[in-house]
Amino acid sequence: MNKTLDSIDKHLKRRHRADRRYRLYGQLAIVFALLFLLMFFFSIITRALPAFWYQTASLSLELSARVLGGEAGDPLPREISERQARKLLDAALALELGPSSERAILRARRALLTPLAALELKKLLLEKRYKDQEREQGVRIGDKLLLPFALSSESGNYISSLRYSQLGSKEEEASSLPEPQRRSLSILQQRGLIEKRFNFAFFVRSDSRTATSAGIWGALVGSFWALLIAFILAFPLGLFTALHLQEFAPRNRLTYVIEVAIYNLAAVPSIVFGLLGLSIFLNWWHLPRSASLVGGLVLALMTLPTIVVASRNALASVSEGIRSAGLALGASREQVVFHHVLPRAMPGILTGTIIGMAQALGETAPLLMIGMVAFVAQAPMTPLEPATALPVQIFLWADHPDPAFSSRSAAAILVMLVFLVVMNAAAVILRRSFERRG
Amino acid sequence: MYVLSLRFLLPSLFALLLTTLTSGEAYARERIRIVGSSTVFPFATVVAERFGLTRGIASPIIESTGTGGGIKLFCRGIGKDSPDIANASSRMKASQLKLCIKNGVASVIEVPIGYDGIVLTQSLQGKAMDLTLRHLYMALAKSVPDGAGGFVGNPYQSWSDIDESLPDANIEVLGPPPTSGTRVAFTEIVMDGGARSFPQLAALRKSDKKAFRKIAYAIREDGAYIDSGENDNLIVQKIRRNPKALGIFGFSFLENNRSLLRGLKVDNVAPEFVNIADGSYPVARSLYFYLKGEHVGKIPHLLDYANSFVSEDTIGEDGFLIDEGLIPLSEAAMKRAREDVSSMRVIRVSDLK
Amino acid sequence: MGMLTFAASVFALFALVGFVLFLRTVARSRAFTHRDAYSFPSASLLVGFIATISTAFLLLLPFLLPRASIPTILLGAHSPLVLIGVCALLGACASLGFVFYAPRSFPSRRFVGASVRVMLFLSSTLAVATTVAIVASLLFETLRFLEEVPLGDFLFGLHWSPQTALFSDDIGSSGAFGAIPVVLGTFLITLIAISVAVPIGLFAAVYLSEFAHKRTRSIVKPILEILSGIPTVVYGFFAALVLAPLISKLGDLIGLQVASESALAAGMVMGVMLIPFVSSLSDDALAAVPRDIRDASLALGATQSETVARAVLPAAFPGVLAGVLLAFSRAVGETMIVVMAAGLAAKMTFNPLAAPTTITVQIVTLLVGDQEFDSSKTLSAFALGMLLFCLTLVINASALFATRRYGSRYE
Repeated sequence: MNKTLDSIDKHLKRRHRADRRYRLYGQLAIVFALLFLLMFFFSIITRALPAFWYQTASLSLELSARVLGGEAGDPLPREISERQARKLLDAALALELGPSSERAILRARRALLTPLAALELKKLLLEKRYKDQEREQGVRIGDKLLLPFALSSESGNYISSLRYSQLGSKEEEASSLPEPQRRSLSILQQRGLIEKRFNFAFFVRSDSRTATSAGIWGALVGSFWALLIAFILAFPLGLFTALHLQEFAPRNRLTYVIEVAIYNLAAVPSIVFGLLGLSIFLNWWHLPRSASLVGGLVLALMTLPTIVVASRNALASVSEGIRSAGLALGASREQVVFHHVLPRAMPGILTGTIIGMAQALGETAPLLMIGMVAFVAQAPMTPLEPATALPVQIFLWADHPDPAFSSRSAAAILVMLVFLVVMNAAAVILRRSFERRG
Repeated sequence: MYVLSLRFLLPSLFALLLTTLTSGEAYARERIRIVGSSTVFPFATVVAERFGLTRGIASPIIESTGTGGGIKLFCRGIGKDSPDIANASSRMKASQLKLCIKNGVASVIEVPIGYDGIVLTQSLQGKAMDLTLRHLYMALAKSVPDGAGGFVGNPYQSWSDIDESLPDANIEVLGPPPTSGTRVAFTEIVMDGGARSFPQLAALRKSDKKAFRKIAYAIREDGAYIDSGENDNLIVQKIRRNPKALGIFGFSFLENNRSLLRGLKVDNVAPEFVNIADGSYPVARSLYFYLKGEHVGKIPHLLDYANSFVSEDTIGEDGFLIDEGLIPLSEAAMKRAREDVSSMRVIRVSDLK
Repeated sequence: MGMLTFAASVFALFALVGFVLFLRTVARSRAFTHRDAYSFPSASLLVGFIATISTAFLLLLPFLLPRASIPTILLGAHSPLVLIGVCALLGACASLGFVFYAPRSFPSRRFVGASVRVMLFLSSTLAVATTVAIVASLLFETLRFLEEVPLGDFLFGLHWSPQTALFSDDIGSSGAFGAIPVVLGTFLITLIAISVAVPIGLFAAVYLSEFAHKRTRSIVKPILEILSGIPTVVYGFFAALVLAPLISKLGDLIGLQVASESALAAGMVMGVMLIPFVSSLSDDALAAVPRDIRDASLALGATQSETVARAVLPAAFPGVLAGVLLAFSRAVGETMIVVMAAGLAAKMTFNPLAAPTTITVQIVTLLVGDQEFDSSKTLSAFALGMLLFCLTLVINASALFATRRYGSRYE
């Protein structure tokens, strides 16, 4: 008798252990997913942070008569060439690092700053001249100005590595600069001339060949145009389709075909939409390549199923009593639908649309196919101009060997994620208010 | 309000969209459109960006399609749908110019902009190798001489199979596809030169050039050579992560990544600025862009852009493209290029033969 | 110039709106009061309708007619501002014509009703039209491809080397278009992804729906949803710049030959992306299993996990299977993660530490660059696209089939 009880006991214990094991597996699975998310965000944020700051060197710039012509006290000349600006920079650098006339040394020093430094100095001086003309005072030949100049990305990386040398992984970046340049940078740093500033340029400038002036503005505008066009097309068409299927369509073969078509569209891989865009919009209709218009058209087709499904659900959730009451009072079917059902279903429909737009924001593959991969250095003014989009910009920058670009890619990811969070939050709030009302 | 209600706004928004569509038809394209070589791309984008900044206008749009694809698009015809300029990392061929002329692009202006070396690179962590043209042929060709007067498919799997002094690592080379100008130039210099080191192939070259090219210029397809697309930055990244592989691309990409990559010596000459400039590094070629004469005057600022590209500030000894890794032309060649642009001298098929 | 036109369009829009409002006022005036009250609201709507639709139609005219016809020349020769103005004017005239010349007994309400229904129906045919367009365009280009490369070679060929030369005197690759290595690469990465996504997704779903507290569930479920909201390009970034080097380094430590773009890295990240798919569909399937089954099992003395494993899961199996199949099709069609993290070499390999290429990567590589639609190189991308489309269609159809046929065995 005892033996049997014992074996039952053991058996029971084994089953309970198995039970605990299953729970453990489930918990492990969830923990794994959460850990991944944590590691994921951590790695992206740490990569993105360097992109939000850039280093500048403050140099004392003398507007010497030797370079600009004229005499001390004269106003600035009307035209300043980039070469003159470069000579001024050379002189300013020589003030801190010692005079030199060897071309190799001058070039190496210029490489400490961003390649566009001379161009931007020229623009700055011309702006000052224009502004000062109106005020009748200001900058004259012979004056000394203290101006900050952005460092090139390699110099910037080196300076950061000096500051964060404990983190170890910066060794690679540190070794990219030849020794003389490293020495010059240390000299500048010891004299307290190197400052860290917030990289506003990242948000207001478009793509550039130099990492320090590269920004996401152009991509943001391109994405805006594409999403606007996608919304203008997909929202009414999706809504009308949902209205048709939900309120007006008879239960026949044709309706079935339409429903199947929508289901299929939702399952088609995004790259196939890109192929469609390439062969029909570009090759047959000859729409301008790389234009956000074409991107918007493709995204509209991709978002259509999402909007249709969400709208149908929202329409279905409006109580039947409303419809019956309307019809009973003599309204036509269209009047009931458009005046009574639709407004009540609106929050749900908008929720679905916002979610669809959020998905469209992150789509990259179809945009690659229709050519939104060109180097576009200005934001597009209309949807017909060549443009790029935010996810495509992330893709293009990620592959760059220059770590400054890959950190900008991570920063752009953060910006995109912020947009997505905002859009999804708006959708959730809408949904909550809808559920409360309905 | 009626106006704000959906059923009215929606058709109106449609009308709005349609007017935006029609507005595109009425106006000509206003931005310069450039396609072509991925090697010239980094230089052209710098010029384009500066051009836009200094003139205060929208910069030209540049797409990196590869030399072959770029010239094909360029030669499609004239009109606002076709590009204005094609960048090329190998000289246009007579057959390509003939295609252009056939499609109505009769005034093509050839503009050399500088030299570039094609380098073989590896990650700094890889084992250094000194290669000769013959080694490269044996590593990359589709067919090698079998020693008995015939040819056989390339049997060499590792570098040490080719030459015992080379390390014992699998042959893994990432390079551009056949449409790339870099590949065309590489084939014409390296494969040609390497093949000639075999007496059998040298003899074939003298007797039947076409057959020689068919055999010597074909690069193996069994996986040792990997077509890595037109994006040279991508090849740089892959080489960096894979110390056992070699990469083939233009010198400027090596210059800009000296902290990550090393350039291998070819025939005992290192890929350095001076060696490429004086011609001692064997694998060097000229870079060009081709301007569509018919579009000058129709697309705003087109000639201005071309002039600024060949100006002293850009490709001169002190020019900013030299800082980017472009090797400058000789003074005489530069002068000729500037004259060709300002006079819009059209090239003829006979010039390219 | 583009900005000016755009502003002009917006102005024209407001002008049109104003005009139509004016027309409505007219419609409400005496000329209209003799119509029966039944049709009255619809009549004024109809006025606006006619104005807008006819304007839109006139603006569309240049696209619909052949290029050289007179109306097109007339309409196209002037600046868009004039064009819009003229069309709006004509549209307004059309509706004014209706206001004054339509017969009193015109059944506005029925007409508006019918027009609205037609409009809704036409919109819904767009979805069908799009599907047809996708199939047609893919098919068209694929057929042109098959003129040069036989179907058997494409479907069963073992060698993929599509980089043919563009010009006659260039030497390119031999132009082998055997798709098997590419398909194999796709399946390798997909299998790795599924083997990550299914265990984690399923166990998570089971735990959340059967074992967890309501509070845990309400916190964890939204967090898992976050995984599905992250764009694939971001996953690709993570896979290429963080995970792949990590795996490579780990491999070096152990002494394994890991390619820098291993299928493992791309597959694992894709698997994580698919977890929400599997988990939410499994969750729905589990929730659909009626309570009686669980109660009966527990009443007979089974532990909770035994109930789940032996009673609930088998009942929910079709739904779970559908979820897995849908995740599978999603993985096959995924582009960005593999473009950024996977390789380009079409090798026949089953080694997860190697770097195979996939269908989507090849499509992208072939089409970014050459856009000539007559070379077999470009056309092969479309052929691959057709293959991909058919594959996903088959997988999705089987998922649907599984749910319909075997769904909820216990009713």
